[in-house]
Amino acid sequence: MVTDDSNSSGRIKSHVDDDDDGEEEEDRLEGLENRLSELKRKIQGERVRSIKEKFEANRKKVDAHVSPFSSAASSRATAEDNGNSNMLSSRMRMPLCKLNGFSHGVGDRDYVPTKDVISASVKLPIAERIPPYTTWIFLDRNQRMAEDQSVVGRRQIYYEQHGGETLICSDSEEEPEPEEEKREFSEGEDSIIWLIGQEYGMGEEVQDALCQLLSVDASDILERYNELKLKDKQNTEEFSNSGFKLGISLEKGLGAALDSFDNLFCRRCLVFDCRLHGCSQPLISASEKQPYWSDYEGDRKPCSKHCYLQLKAVREVPETCSNFASKAEEKASEEECSKAVSSDVPHAAASGVSLQVEKTDIGIKNVDSSSGVEQEHGIRGKREVPILKDSNDLPNLSNKKQKTAASDTKMSFVNSVPSLDQALDSTKGDQGGTTDNKVNRDSEADAKEVGEPIPDNSVHDGGSSICQPHHGSGNGAIIIAEMSETSRPSTEWNPIEKDLYLKGVEIFGRNSCLIARNLLSGLKTCLDVSNYMRENEVSVFRRSSTPNLLLDDGRTDPGNDNDEVPPRTRLFRRKGKTRKLKYSTKSAGHPSVWKRIAGGKNQSCKQYTPCGCLSMCGKDCPCLTNETCCEKYCGCSKSCKNRFRGCHCAKSQCRSRQCPCFAAGRECDPDVCRNCWVSCGDGSLGEAPRRGEGQCGNMRLLLRQQQRILLGKSDVAGWGAFLKNSVSKNEYLGEYTGELISHHEADKRGKIYDRANSSFLFDLNDQYVLDAQRKGDKLKFANHSAKPNCYAKVMFVAGDHRVGIFANERIEASEELFYDYRYGPDQAPVWARKPEGSKKDDSAITHRRARKHQSH
Amino acid sequence: MSKITLGNESIVGSLTPSNKKSYKVTNRIQEGKKPLYAVVFNFLDARFFDVFVTAGGNRITLYNCLGDGAISALQSYADEDKEESFYTVSWACGVNGNPYVAAGGVKGIIRVIDVNSETIHKSLVGHGDSVNEIRTQPLKPQLVITASKDESVRLWNVETGICILIFAGAGGHRYEVLSVDFHPSDIYRFASCGMDTTIKIWSMKEFWTYVEKSFTWTDDPSKFPTKFVQFPVFTASIHTNYVDCNRWFGDFILSKSVDNEILLWEPQLKENSPGEGASDVLLRYPVPMCDIWFIKFSCDLHLSSVAIGNQEGKVYVWDLKSCPPVLITKLSHNQSKSVIRQTAMSVDGSTILACCEDGTIWRWDVITK
Repeated sequence: MVTDDSNSSGRIKSHVDDDDDGEEEEDRLEGLENRLSELKRKIQGERVRSIKEKFEANRKKVDAHVSPFSSAASSRATAEDNGNSNMLSSRMRMPLCKLNGFSHGVGDRDYVPTKDVISASVKLPIAERIPPYTTWIFLDRNQRMAEDQSVVGRRQIYYEQHGGETLICSDSEEEPEPEEEKREFSEGEDSIIWLIGQEYGMGEEVQDALCQLLSVDASDILERYNELKLKDKQNTEEFSNSGFKLGISLEKGLGAALDSFDNLFCRRCLVFDCRLHGCSQPLISASEKQPYWSDYEGDRKPCSKHCYLQLKAVREVPETCSNFASKAEEKASEEECSKAVSSDVPHAAASGVSLQVEKTDIGIKNVDSSSGVEQEHGIRGKREVPILKDSNDLPNLSNKKQKTAASDTKMSFVNSVPSLDQALDSTKGDQGGTTDNKVNRDSEADAKEVGEPIPDNSVHDGGSSICQPHHGSGNGAIIIAEMSETSRPSTEWNPIEKDLYLKGVEIFGRNSCLIARNLLSGLKTCLDVSNYMRENEVSVFRRSSTPNLLLDDGRTDPGNDNDEVPPRTRLFRRKGKTRKLKYSTKSAGHPSVWKRIAGGKNQSCKQYTPCGCLSMCGKDCPCLTNETCCEKYCGCSKSCKNRFRGCHCAKSQCRSRQCPCFAAGRECDPDVCRNCWVSCGDGSLGEAPRRGEGQCGNMRLLLRQQQRILLGKSDVAGWGAFLKNSVSKNEYLGEYTGELISHHEADKRGKIYDRANSSFLFDLNDQYVLDAQRKGDKLKFANHSAKPNCYAKVMFVAGDHRVGIFANERIEASEELFYDYRYGPDQAPVWARKPEGSKKDDSAITHRRARKHQSH
Repeated sequence: MSKITLGNESIVGSLTPSNKKSYKVTNRIQEGKKPLYAVVFNFLDARFFDVFVTAGGNRITLYNCLGDGAISALQSYADEDKEESFYTVSWACGVNGNPYVAAGGVKGIIRVIDVNSETIHKSLVGHGDSVNEIRTQPLKPQLVITASKDESVRLWNVETGICILIFAGAGGHRYEVLSVDFHPSDIYRFASCGMDTTIKIWSMKEFWTYVEKSFTWTDDPSKFPTKFVQFPVFTASIHTNYVDCNRWFGDFILSKSVDNEILLWEPQLKENSPGEGASDVLLRYPVPMCDIWFIKFSCDLHLSSVAIGNQEGKVYVWDLKSCPPVLITKLSHNQSKSVIRQTAMSVDGSTILACCEDGTIWRWDVITK
């Protein structure tokens, strides 16, 4: 504190004297030293003053807080007795006994006689106690340990019940050195570093002096000084442009907004903030896309009055119809387009070119309409260029596809005209225009039908995605022409709208109704989306096409230029210290705390982590090197050789080892297995196709088909788990849930639990141990038995290892559940070797408090 | 836990007594041979301000402090279960103002005694292990909070016998909870501390409807929808060892570990981001020879002074009205050598009681000059 001030400055002085010869230097540092102690005193003085101020302010609060207590006590005293017995008051008049004191006090040396209180006690009838337990939270699924729950690197203080003393247990020799925490500087230190630095510079002597004063490394001081300098600079800058920050706005791209989604949403569990797989999981997108969900455009009903399907109606309204020139052109383009469709391939490419010309024309014509429109057309002009290029660069393969698409169109053309005709006749007057449009619309719809991506056939996929843009671009020209009539400034697209649109195309395909309704509701109408879609065909399809058939036009559109995993900004890193463990997670021999060895096998299962391989997995695939199968969460293709392919069981209900899933210790997965289906809901959403016979019997953890477990006092020791209804052999009873902790963490916790003779650790796989001590479910209370009626089995369920408890025999209702903890011969603690041993030893809880003595 | 740095020092009190007040021994009684862990004056009802209750072994005893140092024994209760060992006791009230005494101990059962009828009112079962402290909400004395070895803090309604809330789980204590205390003015708030070396501040504001519901609950108490509160509003790590006593002092907290001192510190909460905040240790009140755990201090009702015993049987009385801290006096007697587990100050601070491990109760009265 303040008093040791002179000492430290004395030290500094001698130190300085030894090192420096130059007179000047010494003078300067003489000043430094005084200045330092002066500053120190000042800071400490300020601190004392501030403490006093705080104390006084708080003292006033204390006095204010206290007065209600006194008044409440007085009011209770004056409250009338409700005629109840008033033993306390009467006892005050007639006590059990009176023990006179020494009214004059006793001196330090005087003998004070001891008086025994005569006991005439009221007996409190025995209240039955419940078996001891640590308060726990119910978990219906496993959770990964939160970082701040780790006991690793923390000093553990145990109270030794029998020795009556506290012991500090940190096995320092195996403890990883905690990462050196960055020294935090107090305000006072900052100000002293800053002021001295400003006045004397940051020469070595100055640093040394500061080191002495603050007992910090010189490098830290220098670093801090530079930080402060930077801060100071920032402060002044910030001051000048204050108030220029915007919150989340439409101007930001979707990437920024999606960051939180990508970080917080678990794609395996489909929940936000997944406690099992955690935040900031690596993003793995499947290399194969799901087929778009789309229906035929021709069958679609207009989604709203701004639907693009209503377009013709809008056009007929006299007020909006003003530009005859564009209309004429539009017709021309339609004609050409229909020609392109019905004619042969080379023409298709040609039509693309001619359309391009028209569009730019329109752009020029509309220059005088309004500035907003002008700008838009400018952008559009730019965007069109790639279309032109694409159509020239079309690979042969896609040309072939195009051909088939076109011929298909021709065929279906005949069939579908009448119905469409009818539908459109009712609303349209302009016959010429409509017919042309019909042709076009029709052709597009059919092209789509052809191009409907078929899973497992990437060639088809690629072909369709290329063939579509051409028809699309034909249409696009029309729309743009119409746009010139109805164009409004609201059709400007913000970055986030563009991104949302692109996501929409990924999800719904080229369905502007669905995109507008689901993603751009309130922002853009279906018509806007449809227009935009036609302007941006290529960039969209480039994105959704498979990599090997990618149309490479060399264009880079920021934000949507690749399908790969974007580099992730980890905005949502957990608060608190991140401790790096210099410890291999591969367990090196199980220590004695291992009470439960899973599955009866000695080798533990491997933790699965999805790989991000594109298409096929090679030698570098993390799944292969980790010796796990690839699963549906992996990025690789479905035909990857490392994939677990599920079962094809038809009749066995997958309950025996004949089922490959069952044999591999896995539950069946309706996404993977051929005949394992799940019916869901009340059927109102439509039933999944039922394959095979009967429901699969190997999805019980997944579907939570569990029994009702009751918690009660065990017939053996402590708490026990009981079964409500009787079950037959091999029936699934429930899941043993808990916190997922690393083996290293389990080592540490195990030591603590062993002291308390209570452990709920369960070996799960090579990376994790389940700890049900503070979080779990009632099954954690099932006791150990050498002749158990249940068994525990680690099952691999949808990418995760989970522990299921199954009936070993027929169990009657309300029977207590036991299973074999599978202690290894040398693993069981002494107390567990008792016959029917329990994990809780009640006798250990003795008169602890009586031994809460001094340790010396 | 953080190192003391320049500009963050706290002011340490001097152990030279000011002798502003002095006390003399006026009585000493022996209550069996079992250690006494708790003693507390009534603070809820002005009629009974001189009545105090002690707990130790399987016994709970009520006494009255009379003039001239005399003490009369009013009531005595003994648990029929010899294994019970009470660690803590507190006063409470029924809805009609009936004085209750609530005690808990090794068995983890909270015994609520209606001292006006000398009968057991409720036995609150639920804690999974021993109860280390019980505190009463002074403005709503039907509410008590209990700190337990089972790592939870629970809020009870002693009138209806309902466990309203359980404070444990993800953000809860990681080891025995040793002490709890209601905030003096913010009825939703309380502090807890324990063997995991942390002090946590909790809020039940969002769950207050359950508290209100507990008063009107007529069904079986076990059917009450008890809620878990898993996250405190603030966790402070200012001690490095077991924290065995904490008390609010205005918006500041007085707490002690096994480091021979009581700390007065300011929790600096960020109200809009729960869980975050800092703590600033302002004052230190040294208490020599006080490095074993389960030694608790006490204040008078007006919080003008704090009294704490040590393992040598001495009592230190610190002034809470002055900054820097002033030691009012040190109480010692050469026959008082046993560990003082708990002290009790009368409402006006004129009487100090000390209950000891050897089963004795010492009474000290202020000397009026």
